[in-house]
Amino acid sequence: MNLLLFIGRRLLFIAPQLLGIVLVSFMLVKSIPGDPAVLMLGPTATPEAIASLRNSLGLDYSLPVQFWIYLQHLALGDLGTSWQTTRPVLEDLLQRFPATLELVTLGLLTAVVIGISLGLASAFNRHGVLARIADFYGLGAGSLPDFWLALVLIFVFYTLLQWVPAPLGRIDIAVIPPNPITGFLTVDCLLTGNWEALRSALGHLLLPVMTLGLINAGPILKMTQSTMEKILQSDFSHYQVLCGIPHRMVVRHALHNALPSVVTIISVLYGYLIGGAVLVEIVFSWGGAGQYAVQGVLNSDLYPVLGFVLFSAIFSLFVYLFVDIIYFTIDPRIGH
Amino acid sequence: MHAPVAPGLLPGRAAALKITGLRVEFPTITGQSKVVVRDLDLAIGAGEIVGLVGESGAGKTTLTRSILNLTPTPGRIAAGSVCFGGLDLLRLPERDLQRMRGRDLSVVVPNPRGELNPLLTVGKQIVNIARVHLNLDGKAAQVVALDMLRAVQIPDPERRMKAYPHELSGGMAQRVVIAIALVCSPRFIISDDATSGLDVTVQAQILALLRQLVRERDSAMLFITRDVGIAAHFCDRVAVIYQGEIMELAPCEALFLSPRHPYTAMLLAAFSHNPRLRRGWSGPDTAPRQDGTQPGCVYAGRCPRAQPLCVGSKPVLGEVTPGHWARCYFPLETA
Repeated sequence: MNLLLFIGRRLLFIAPQLLGIVLVSFMLVKSIPGDPAVLMLGPTATPEAIASLRNSLGLDYSLPVQFWIYLQHLALGDLGTSWQTTRPVLEDLLQRFPATLELVTLGLLTAVVIGISLGLASAFNRHGVLARIADFYGLGAGSLPDFWLALVLIFVFYTLLQWVPAPLGRIDIAVIPPNPITGFLTVDCLLTGNWEALRSALGHLLLPVMTLGLINAGPILKMTQSTMEKILQSDFSHYQVLCGIPHRMVVRHALHNALPSVVTIISVLYGYLIGGAVLVEIVFSWGGAGQYAVQGVLNSDLYPVLGFVLFSAIFSLFVYLFVDIIYFTIDPRIGH
Repeated sequence: MHAPVAPGLLPGRAAALKITGLRVEFPTITGQSKVVVRDLDLAIGAGEIVGLVGESGAGKTTLTRSILNLTPTPGRIAAGSVCFGGLDLLRLPERDLQRMRGRDLSVVVPNPRGELNPLLTVGKQIVNIARVHLNLDGKAAQVVALDMLRAVQIPDPERRMKAYPHELSGGMAQRVVIAIALVCSPRFIISDDATSGLDVTVQAQILALLRQLVRERDSAMLFITRDVGIAAHFCDRVAVIYQGEIMELAPCEALFLSPRHPYTAMLLAAFSHNPRLRRGWSGPDTAPRQDGTQPGCVYAGRCPRAQPLCVGSKPVLGEVTPGHWARCYFPLETA
């Protein structure tokens, strides 16, 4: 009951939060120098043509009025049109956002598996070999740029070993992808039983997922390690040792207490990676949402950028809501 | 250096736990090690409550942890043995010792709300101990835990089983910690300043309860406290510890009615309501701390009765009258 109340209260706040985010990002995007009308018509356009295009795009109005018009369209589910793709932004994003989400989710899962297991192993035996590896790894992962690692992986596994397909998109051009149901290629392949496409999709996912996983395992590992260390040095862990609780169980209880911090860093990474994985997307020609937004920023294509911000804001808000629910179920002190 | 006979038991008692020549050192930056517990001998009989009194930093907590071979880092046990049930705890493999902690030897800790796992109900925490040490299944452990909560006189024990540590008062949490310490009916219990955070009435209740439970189960107990008054009411014998050495050890009444060591007299005077006594004996600890390398008595720098002999060589813990031991060349005749 408490939990439902808690979720209800959080959902109430989501609408004003989103409005604030849209307002701020609208103003920020509008302040980027560059006139879309000039860019759209090219260098040979006449001033009259530019003026009439500006008029038809609504760029003549004052900023508050432009914002108001945008909100009205938003309320009807119209996120505007991208002049680059000449398609509705909503359609573009519904196609690209799942691509990014699939990549980032699998990458993050890999990072969680690597980070938490190494972090736990090193907390379990502070002087063991795994603890040394973990220290070294944490340092390395924190200092490597992701696109560089992506290039190295491509060089080794594609150029040299030829174990994986070429880093061009999500699936082989020769393979017919399944009709989009969820937009997540792997899920759609599973749903339609299209094993050939699944194989190809997984092959294309392997390297970018590895890149994101290996890099982002660093912060998760560090957080797990330091939190576990702190908790294992805390009074209640010492007390459990004093009570003769086996080491394995002491570590398990410490992990339970460390989970909120670890979940926090994972959720922060998740929200960040939606846009932050853009360099990896570019290296693998992924065609994801991050790439789409960056193109928009570079070409004064306002609506894709706003649409992307809106999508990732909604996504982040739900991730944080989910995290709060996890806290709520882990820690009896919250919300009572 | 040692007393010829280990500071003994009351006549006719078998030792439940016997500490011999225990020495605990902490490394310092200078490379020398600081001795925190120095050549300590102490035997505690079955069914006996021995008090250990001393000011902060005297080595009380280090001693408790060292008995369980859990010396706080970076300290290490340099010498000595702790005999318990025919075994030397300091030479036992960690795995065997872990099974004995909490089952045969247990500790009642102070500040229990910080020592309990905040994410588990107290019932679950007691059940865990019962399951680990008594090999009970979940249901049987549940019954044992509930009985134990009843034994420590927690009101409404069924409901408290489901309570989290933050939902308990200090006194209630202290009872839970006692329940955890006693659930396996250990033969030896260390109470480490267990009631220091509680107000006086609750303290009295908890102590009465603790004594009753110890007597019922014929367990031995080392009762560590800073409060001389509590020790006087609670213990059979009392040891006074100063800078890691036992200064005086005597049956409770003898120690409080006729202390033999000047330090004991000073401690008693500090707790006294008699202003003349307090002025005569107490004073701030201005003497430099010794690191154990000086030859004399560790208390010599602070002692109002110190003689050249006290600075030059270390007194042994000697039997002044039967059962009454003091580490002093010039023990007091009467207080």
